[in-house]
Amino acid sequence: MRYHRRKRRNSHQEVELNLAAMLDMAFQLLTFFILTFRPAPVEGQVQLRLPPPKPVTVLKNAQEAGSSADNTNPLQGVNSLVITVLGRKDGSIEGISLGESTVPNLGVLETRVHSLLANEGTGFDQVVVQVGSDLHYDQLMRVIDICTRAKLPNGERLSKLSFVELPSGP
Amino acid sequence: MSASMSHEASAEPNLTPMLDMVFQLITFFMLVINFKSAAMDLKLRLPVVGSARPVDTKGADELLVLNVDAQGNLNVYGEQKKDVSRYIAQEAQASLLVARRKNPGIQSGDDLPTQVVIRADKGTPFRLLNKVILACQANGYRKFALKALNKALEP
Repeated sequence: MRYHRRKRRNSHQEVELNLAAMLDMAFQLLTFFILTFRPAPVEGQVQLRLPPPKPVTVLKNAQEAGSSADNTNPLQGVNSLVITVLGRKDGSIEGISLGESTVPNLGVLETRVHSLLANEGTGFDQVVVQVGSDLHYDQLMRVIDICTRAKLPNGERLSKLSFVELPSGP
Repeated sequence: MSASMSHEASAEPNLTPMLDMVFQLITFFMLVINFKSAAMDLKLRLPVVGSARPVDTKGADELLVLNVDAQGNLNVYGEQKKDVSRYIAQEAQASLLVARRKNPGIQSGDDLPTQVVIRADKGTPFRLLNKVILACQANGYRKFALKALNKALEP
């Protein structure tokens, strides 16, 4: 009987964890994470393949550009579409040209670029953008935006671009 | 007897719910913490572009993040790099070593698989940005990602 009583008393002993220490540690961790938490803005990106700029290349098995006086189309025989964007001193767009023709605004540029790149007969698969040295990055990105939204005849979006810096005016 | 018992009784708050809540908060912050944001210069004002797509790094082996401010300074992990060409050349050497682990045949001067992520301020003149791009191209980088805010994502 005595033995039983003693056993019952032992079994009632409870092990109490000291939660205060664990709570201290948890609060320290929480403080660290709160202090290091910096919500970053959700950013997008425009992925490009930028080979070094080269002279406008000649299509394989095609007429070399400028080799025939009968060829009056300046775009025939090349596979690079050339866009020229000039910038003012304040970084805004001063003028846009597509090939040798002047384009009044970005809306017209978009229409022409999209139709030219989608047309299988033109054979364009890359764009060379000649950029004025003073043009600001956000204005350039508007032109890049137009180019990267254009689709090639195979249905893929254009990703090959080259930049050429034009010297600033006097 | 009863009076002495009441003196000994101490009020112990139940810490378990508080600990549960704190651990839940810790779990939340651990999940949302983004150590990659340390590479970003959050002072830069990115341009807004409609075709900017959410970041997809699945295809990229490695990233080289370059922050270019409006004065053309290159900032990497909060440190301003004065000699841009030298820094990019050093990074290209490191990228080449990493690329050789997967493709032992890759040589110096070949196209590097590393993607260059350019975060430039929207007021950066092209001549300053082009210096960075040309330095990257000269060292074999061909894949570029230009960071921008999407119109739909703009606050």
